[in-house]
Amino acid sequence: MSAAIEIDVHNPSGLHARPAAVFVKAAAAIPGDVRVANVTTGSSEVSAKSILAVLALGVSSGHRIRLRLEGDGAPDALRSLAELVASGLGEPPAGAGA
Amino acid sequence: MELRGLPAAPGIAVGPVWRYRRGEARGIPLPDVRAAADRASNDLLALAARVRGLGRTDEAAIFDAQALMATDPTLLEEAERLARAIGVPDPDALAAAVETAARGIAETLAALPDETLAARAADVRDVGARIARILAGREIALPEQPSIAIADDLPPSITAELPPGSLLGIALESGSPVSHAAILSRGLGIPSVVAVRGLLTAVDVAEAPREAAGETGDGETLIVTLDGEAGTLVLGPSAAQLTEIEARRERRRRQGEAARALRGRPGRTADGVAIPLLANIGRPEDAARALDAGAEGVGLFRTEFLFIGRSDAPSEDEQVRAYAAVLNAFGPDRPVVVRLADIGGDKAIPYLHLAAEDNPFLGVRGLRLGYDDRALIRTQVRAIARAGAAAGATPRLMAPMVSTFEDVTMLREIVAGALASLDAEGTARAARLVVGIMVEVPSAALSAPELALEVDFFSIGSNDLTQYVLAMDRTNARLAAAADALHPAVLRAIRATVDGAGTNGIPVAVCGELAGDPLGAAVLVGLGVDELSMDAGALDAVRLMLSRVTSADLRELAGVALQARTATEVRAAASAVVGTGA
Repeated sequence: MSAAIEIDVHNPSGLHARPAAVFVKAAAAIPGDVRVANVTTGSSEVSAKSILAVLALGVSSGHRIRLRLEGDGAPDALRSLAELVASGLGEPPAGAGA
Repeated sequence: MELRGLPAAPGIAVGPVWRYRRGEARGIPLPDVRAAADRASNDLLALAARVRGLGRTDEAAIFDAQALMATDPTLLEEAERLARAIGVPDPDALAAAVETAARGIAETLAALPDETLAARAADVRDVGARIARILAGREIALPEQPSIAIADDLPPSITAELPPGSLLGIALESGSPVSHAAILSRGLGIPSVVAVRGLLTAVDVAEAPREAAGETGDGETLIVTLDGEAGTLVLGPSAAQLTEIEARRERRRRQGEAARALRGRPGRTADGVAIPLLANIGRPEDAARALDAGAEGVGLFRTEFLFIGRSDAPSEDEQVRAYAAVLNAFGPDRPVVVRLADIGGDKAIPYLHLAAEDNPFLGVRGLRLGYDDRALIRTQVRAIARAGAAAGATPRLMAPMVSTFEDVTMLREIVAGALASLDAEGTARAARLVVGIMVEVPSAALSAPELALEVDFFSIGSNDLTQYVLAMDRTNARLAAAADALHPAVLRAIRATVDGAGTNGIPVAVCGELAGDPLGAAVLVGLGVDELSMDAGALDAVRLMLSRVTSADLRELAGVALQARTATEVRAAASAVVGTGA
């Protein structure tokens, strides 16, 4: 059994540069194999703990990603990773201050 | 010997040469991929901390990301797979495996339809090279004294790694002003020149006679002077050249002070002719910097940022927010010119389904996209009109890549249709749109009298106009020096545009790099251009130049420039009038 969550990425630079680093560091802290795919482009799943693999997904603002925990890890950890994505990964949301 | 490249970071440097070559000295190898990767990662974290300590948080983030890349499972697993295929764990073979793995990943990133990821590709290669150096025990020979670095290319992590003060300047044979290396040297305040053709050979030749005379080691090393604003360097300068460069340094310092004193005043010649000085911006966030620099408005708001690097078109509402942000920042009394997206087959924009073209700069781009599909342009026009209502300002709209009368007819139809659709819905819009066109294609310059009857203003895109008049690709490093916007043929096209505009009394602006070059600005005003729009960083120097000359001087200069045979002759004439002596 494996838990999966789909979520839209809304921070302005997508999963590039700094937000990608924030994402990967958070994923690396979760025990077990965390997988991520770009649903919008129909990419295959990659390890969420690899910044290079995550960058290569080309996740831009507005894309939807799927997070999945391989094996019987804690679904709570996956949910908090999804919440981190929803909160903008440390980036101010698009249009802030406009 | 004088060499010319592209300016990458301002400032003047004088000092001995330090040749950077990729890992030549031998240290102790560390033939363990994981251990070498860990050390590389730690080194990069230390670099990030040091650069952050200098207040350069953006550059520090690059090194933080690189530290993460250095221990990335994708990279290390691929490197170990390649190493196993080789068999014997020879340090050089391991190093090659890591570099190959990094190159493969870099190619994947570079192939993605997103420009920011291309820069990441260079970062991955840099990380691979760093791990490889540790594996093979290759070390970088540090400069023994403060020096000017001479290299084909200088990875950003090397620039940051050298002790502060040890790099007086940087001159690169390759590279580009927008590379990470150039951005970092601007951040660290190290004067830099890039894309200097023949640099390495010239330095070899200049050093040769000293070596032949046995002067290496404790003998005189080759001295170089470098001007990061002019993009020039001199190998082995004479005493007179050294005196001149010191004088230039002092002159720049005094000009900087004088220019800062003029901030906040409008552009005006010594005899009081107003020449509004506007800023070119590429994102709403650029508005604040433009205002700080004393911009009297925005002469070019590039909107490509809304369309690039995403999988679906920006909504009309999203566009309204972006345009209104800039209109609000500048208020109702300072003009803001919003340019319709200048997009073509050179950019991968999945949702537009643009056909690949053999020659995208002569293909279906800019306004020409409207012949296939008017919706994209119509939505943008609607958003601009709505933003005007939201901000209580009269927006100016400008179409790129206009070459024929039919283009202008289509533009007017699209604008009229967009406004009518807003009115039919009862959606609030600006009462009036000021509609202009870019003049950047020779046919538009030559048709200026006819086009002037159809639009409210012209804005000359001098970069593209130069490229199309001279048939020289401005991104081709071998043509960069010859593709000079001050070529007399380009100036004659600009004069034709000004004359054409005069038949209907519409204003002419210039929004290319030429407008931000004090020599170029002097010639343009002399030719009768009404407004100049430039990078915010260029406003001070152009404002100062204008304050010191009369419009009669500039008209006379333009007359000479139109008679000249070469761009060099035009520059010499302009330098004589403006007196900056680049």
